[in-house]
Amino acid sequence: MKKKIEITLNGKKTSLEVPAHRLLLDLLRDEIGLTGTKEGCGTGDCGACTVMLNGKPVNSCLILSGELNGVDIITIEGLKIGPEFHPVQKTFVQDGGAQCGYCTPGMLMMAKALLDENPNPTEEEIRFALSGNLCRCTGYAKIIQAVQDAAAEIRQRRTAQT
Amino acid sequence: MAELTVVGKSVTRVDAGEKVTGEAIYGYDLILPNMLYGKVVFSPRPHAKIKRIDTEKARRLPGVHAVITAKDAPWTHGESIKDKPFLAQGKVRYIGEPVAAVAAEDEDTAQAAAKLIEVEYEDLTAYLDPEEACRPGAMPIHEDFPSYKKMEFVVTSPEMPNVCEHFKLRTGEVEKGFRESDFVFEERYSVPIIQHAAMEPHSSHAQVDPESGRVTIWVANDAPFRALHEISEALGLPKEKIRFINPLQGGGFGSKGGLKVEPIAVALAYHTGGRPVRVKFNREESFISTLTRHEAVIYIKSGVKKDGSIRARQVTIFWGAGAYAEKSPTVCIRGSLPAPGPYRIPHVKVDGYAVYTNKPVAGSFRGYGIPQGAWACEQHTDELASRLGMDPLEFRLKNVYVEGDTSYWGEKLHAVGLKETLIKAAEAIEWGKRDEGIKGSRVGKGLACIQKPTRSPTTSQAGVTVNNKGEVTVLAGTVEIGQGCNTILSQIAAEELKVPIEKVCMHSLDTDFIPFDASTTSSRSTYHMGNAVRRAAIDAREKIALMAAPMLEAKKEDLAFSDGKIYLKDHPEMSLAIGEVIRRKLGPATLLRGDGAYTYEIAKDLDLETGHSDHASAFYMYATQAAEVIVDEETGRVRILRMSAAHDLGKAINPLNCVAQIEGGLAMGIGSALHEHLVVDNQGKVRNPSFLDYHLVTSLDLPKMIPIIVECAEPEGPYGAKGLGEPGLAPTPAAIGNAVANALGVRIHDLPLTPERVYWAIQKGKTKAA
Repeated sequence: MKKKIEITLNGKKTSLEVPAHRLLLDLLRDEIGLTGTKEGCGTGDCGACTVMLNGKPVNSCLILSGELNGVDIITIEGLKIGPEFHPVQKTFVQDGGAQCGYCTPGMLMMAKALLDENPNPTEEEIRFALSGNLCRCTGYAKIIQAVQDAAAEIRQRRTAQT
Repeated sequence: MAELTVVGKSVTRVDAGEKVTGEAIYGYDLILPNMLYGKVVFSPRPHAKIKRIDTEKARRLPGVHAVITAKDAPWTHGESIKDKPFLAQGKVRYIGEPVAAVAAEDEDTAQAAAKLIEVEYEDLTAYLDPEEACRPGAMPIHEDFPSYKKMEFVVTSPEMPNVCEHFKLRTGEVEKGFRESDFVFEERYSVPIIQHAAMEPHSSHAQVDPESGRVTIWVANDAPFRALHEISEALGLPKEKIRFINPLQGGGFGSKGGLKVEPIAVALAYHTGGRPVRVKFNREESFISTLTRHEAVIYIKSGVKKDGSIRARQVTIFWGAGAYAEKSPTVCIRGSLPAPGPYRIPHVKVDGYAVYTNKPVAGSFRGYGIPQGAWACEQHTDELASRLGMDPLEFRLKNVYVEGDTSYWGEKLHAVGLKETLIKAAEAIEWGKRDEGIKGSRVGKGLACIQKPTRSPTTSQAGVTVNNKGEVTVLAGTVEIGQGCNTILSQIAAEELKVPIEKVCMHSLDTDFIPFDASTTSSRSTYHMGNAVRRAAIDAREKIALMAAPMLEAKKEDLAFSDGKIYLKDHPEMSLAIGEVIRRKLGPATLLRGDGAYTYEIAKDLDLETGHSDHASAFYMYATQAAEVIVDEETGRVRILRMSAAHDLGKAINPLNCVAQIEGGLAMGIGSALHEHLVVDNQGKVRNPSFLDYHLVTSLDLPKMIPIIVECAEPEGPYGAKGLGEPGLAPTPAAIGNAVANALGVRIHDLPLTPERVYWAIQKGKTKAA
């Protein structure tokens, strides 16, 4: 069954006719072609498909397309601030936070969500925030380092602004 | 050696940018124009005859383009033994074996059609235990095994029909060695099945051109040239008719070599009138129907003298191969060979048996058999030290290989950094210092070391092109699976051509025009492909120098390269940009190309009777890891307080990337030590095929990690480099096991060290003490 919805996707208002029973993950990847959001399990266990829905991080594999009317979605493709990398993107590059890179988009979205709420997290808070995002390559050390460095940069920018 | 400009520096990964923006396209992401969607029907029985398959209802479903069974795809494949059908032929041998497949207009239709296929089975006795399947008189899981086509190195055993490889090593006289010993000790160890669980699930796309018969396969496969060879042999199709295109790979760890989804995609593509087909395995399917790591049962018997020298060691290993041989013969060979450990032992006997069972197929997994052997050998080594009243570090330092030693398989060893790794790993966790732990818990320290060979001989070829802007492109068949090869190879090309690394890019991987590479496995790429790229870059550099010499009115020998320019050594102001040299000589539209290749040519196969070779491996990697653990006596929970990992990798081309590899290996090793176990029940069914139930290590599970780089240069390696990819997880469980034994005074011989297992070991220890 197809359903008409209107959403804001990465800052742009978009009208879509979607198969109501398909997952947000499939909608993004297969229907819209935004494959930056990754499918790791399809059952909400790995966080690779994390996107921001109305400002909160969610597993897009656990949300039906039919429920989406009026929502605001940010995917990894919308993480950049204008032409510039978001601080977490910058520090993931600089610190070696991405290896195979498949978990990276989900990690970045979750890190953004954390830093939006708490720009000064402790290491424990970072570990806890990312504990639903699995990575098989890195052992998380460089990822946590990158989030710490991004937090420092965000704080610095805020200080510079005030 | 001239001063290095970019090799040895922690430059940023060249692929990081596309990976943080979501622009990177992986195999699982690929959408081809006009493609159909595949779905597979898997066997629900561990061992059964197929009585009947009814595909009629599925075929009649609107939107279905193809429904296939073995009748439509009567092919088999296999790297060492041709035993694996594209789709089950006549019988099934494990739960999860592909039996039939469909291709349809969309995912939903494909899924619905797959459900309409009816298969009737007649159950046969299933073997789930490798030791039992090995017993004489066991019914063969493969009735036609004797007639299967096999590689020449495969040794079978007529009285054990389920053994698909028997590896033998014979050095000295092991019985004599035991008689000469003051003390003989024997123990049994076991390692369960685990799974690679790369974050990207498995998938493959395929298309067959009806006119030319050409087959194109898009897949994140870590050995596309080998996969191409296997498909070519299976289909009886010349290699020129087959093309592999590699999108990015979201991790592999050994699971993405060989053929898994590829044969199904190819078989379907023969029935879609030229339309491409995508076959994706979901996570559960990736868990049960791709590859696992071999379960192993390991018996070790050792004889030692009172002075702490090891006189004799006998090792017998049963490797659970699962239902098909896949890489089991070579895992058995290369995992059994070093299983007695990196020690000077005059009398050694090893028997390794790879055994068919009715379980998911086991194959290559980061470390290729070394982790299983190390779990047994390195705990065993501590048990010996403890009986001799020696410190485990001291005992190892007395017995481990040093420069110039001859290994028990007859190879004179060089570039042996093992002792340095032992000392540094131990120091990093303050080896001699003992902590008591708080009430109700015990603290302990342990370490373990390994030696890891690489597959030899193997070949890598590479091309390096330079355009008239001085931009460099590297053509190499090494697959970027997350290990950072694209960065390492870019650094090497930049180093030899003396161009800024930003001027170097890696070409995408396509077997139609990328030079041959054996595989991205066995920690072989930095050494083999690194050498090939280095040679190709030097070839290009020499050609540029030859062209520039008349332009600069100088002899070639008087020229040098720096920062994208070629100049006169004595008059650095006399220079030309290398792109300018190419433009002037070759015109605006031509690329200059250098070529290079590397093979470790003196490698010799292991003797089939003795296991000996005086050049078994192009290089050896050495590593020691040391753990400090705290064990809760009430719950049996093991927590790692800190863990060091000292790895002799020859030369760190990119230190940051090396540290990242070590940390990733450690994390995987810790998971396999404490909780990872793909549970197959007594009906042959995998009980935990999801991330949640399997329990991958999370960010909350890991301790402070202390990676240590040891550089004992390998003269043949590029800039002295060996390899690093695999050893990271190999000594980890044994180091933790030794630390747990050190904490508790009781030892656990079976992995993983779950709280339950540790709890019962503590209770057993208490009973014994009472």
